[in-house]
Amino acid sequence: MDFVQQVINGLAQGGIYSLIAIGWTTVFGIVGVMNWTHGEVYMLGAFAGYFLCIMGMPFVPALLLSMLIGSGIAMAIDEFGYKPLRKKGKMAVAGFITALGLSTFLRYGANAVFTPNPRAYPDVIDYQLIPILTVGGKTLTISSIHLTILAGTMLIMVLLELFIRRTITGKAMLAASQDMQTLGLMGANSEVLIKVTFAISGALGAAAGVFVGTIYAINPMMGALAGLKGWAVAILGGIGSITGSLIGGLILGVAENLTAGFISTGYKDAIGFIIMIAVLLIKPTGLLGFKFDEKV
Amino acid sequence: MKNDSAASEVLTAGIESVPADVLTNTKKEFALPEGNSKWFFGTSGKTTFIGAAIFLLAICFLDSFTPVKVIPAYVKHILVSCLIYAILALGLNFVSGYIGQTSLGHAAFFGIGAYGTAVLMKYSGMNFWLTIPVAACIAALAALPLAASALRVKGSFLVVITYGFGEVLRYVAINTDSLGGSSGIPGIKVPTIFGIKMSKIGPTGKEGYLILCFLIVALLAFFMNRIEKSRTGYAFAAIREDEIAAVAMGIHTKYYKILAFVISAFICSIAGSIQVAYSSFVSPELLTSTQSILILTMVIVGGRRSIKGAILGAGLMTILPEILHSLKDAIGLSFDPWYILYGLILVIVMRVRPQGFWGNSSDA
Repeated sequence: MDFVQQVINGLAQGGIYSLIAIGWTTVFGIVGVMNWTHGEVYMLGAFAGYFLCIMGMPFVPALLLSMLIGSGIAMAIDEFGYKPLRKKGKMAVAGFITALGLSTFLRYGANAVFTPNPRAYPDVIDYQLIPILTVGGKTLTISSIHLTILAGTMLIMVLLELFIRRTITGKAMLAASQDMQTLGLMGANSEVLIKVTFAISGALGAAAGVFVGTIYAINPMMGALAGLKGWAVAILGGIGSITGSLIGGLILGVAENLTAGFISTGYKDAIGFIIMIAVLLIKPTGLLGFKFDEKV
Repeated sequence: MKNDSAASEVLTAGIESVPADVLTNTKKEFALPEGNSKWFFGTSGKTTFIGAAIFLLAICFLDSFTPVKVIPAYVKHILVSCLIYAILALGLNFVSGYIGQTSLGHAAFFGIGAYGTAVLMKYSGMNFWLTIPVAACIAALAALPLAASALRVKGSFLVVITYGFGEVLRYVAINTDSLGGSSGIPGIKVPTIFGIKMSKIGPTGKEGYLILCFLIVALLAFFMNRIEKSRTGYAFAAIREDEIAAVAMGIHTKYYKILAFVISAFICSIAGSIQVAYSSFVSPELLTSTQSILILTMVIVGGRRSIKGAILGAGLMTILPEILHSLKDAIGLSFDPWYILYGLILVIVMRVRPQGFWGNSSDA
């Protein structure tokens, strides 16, 4: 019974990881850069949501506006960080180091502006425990905040999936993740596609940040670990697969909660990396990923 | 393995753009491209070494002969840090420079060296000088699984594996009571050399470490300079430039990749052992990912697979934060400007000089 309760508690956190992971995987699939700044977009999104909520905005508009801000930040990062390197064709190592540098810059810049003190969101969602099922005198519950987060995550993912499958831009993105050059020959504007990719990635990261803010206190350093866990989830689920990211995120969220509940809280953060390393060694393409061919 | 040497020689001759006469000049006199023999403002390796040694000894013992202290202990402390980081950067150069894989987990080996020495000295009373090779061998063993994963995945995937490896080790260090938990192990005894305590050499007690680190860095620089021109070095170059071609030429790529990781871990562990003896305590701080990223940026900013670049990069990235730190205290900022600037430096260096300050232009 405790076990099932821990699993339920892990789902919301898992949903948040999934959102972060999709941001990583879309950018990696299309631009081919390990966008290390994604954790920082997530952090800035959380701060945007915090200030909007403090100003008295209701939760849903604050979430949407934060997502917009997150998109803007991600597009700015691409414009000033990656685009010049892409133009020179020096994306491989230089792109990665640029991402590291930008991420450090944003993290410590935010640290200077917002101060390192943790901040808590005002009560934007009424907290209450909703009973699901009663077995043998014990009741399984889910908190209203977790339920909101899960519902929000699912909604965002369904919308994203529809966008990718049904719209011409979405289809172009899918094609771009397979062969950018050929797509360019077909007359698609690759720069616009890349900007759209970054916008989506930023919006999802910011949404994850706002969601996490409703559960935990936020601070400028929060992006470092969460960002990397997102990448771990993206690998776990398989690069380029949205469903994979969702499953991977839920697995990680649940695994972390179980580790904290039954093994040791000290190893809670390590479990994600252990799972990721194991998956990469056994099945490098992840649970649902397809193979990225090495160019010969 | 027999054809290996000839194959890699031919292969790298094309890649490294060695002057044409090298190809005809087969055996002994392998003329190296310009720049490799020049160490510092065009001086040879020997001259640079002697010059640096004289300079170092002057800094160390000047105060013994003058009535007033000229060089503050703080400067010597920073110099020791620079040299320890130089060892780390040179060690990482084997992985990030020679075989061209990015590693964000090298603080783990630094930490293994540090914890190895601390634990061996504390619990078994082993002599400090003996703990260095023992800890280094442990680190080399720990590098094997990482090397094994490097055989299966590379690039961005390897980055995250190395990162995860470092983080997992850090959590182990924090959560193990015998390793001192998050506060670490304090009170490591000062090692002695020829019956003299390391802290008793010279006026401030840092001179012994300064000379020790300098000797190791010099030895490493010599070693790496030689390895670059050896069969192993050419095999590394071939793997870095084109792995499939390297396999086709009969180079045992798996062996050389593992070798690079093992040597790299061994060297980084030595730096860890010295760090412990120098600061006389060890904490999980040594294992943070920030530390790994810092070591990597030293190599990148200095110039990948440039020995001079790794040493100077380590110096630059150690001295700059100290300057900014004192600047922060001077003008009373509430935050440390170093990390903000550090991020900007990385972005700008990658934009302006992707091969690093002292790197080869072909490396961009």
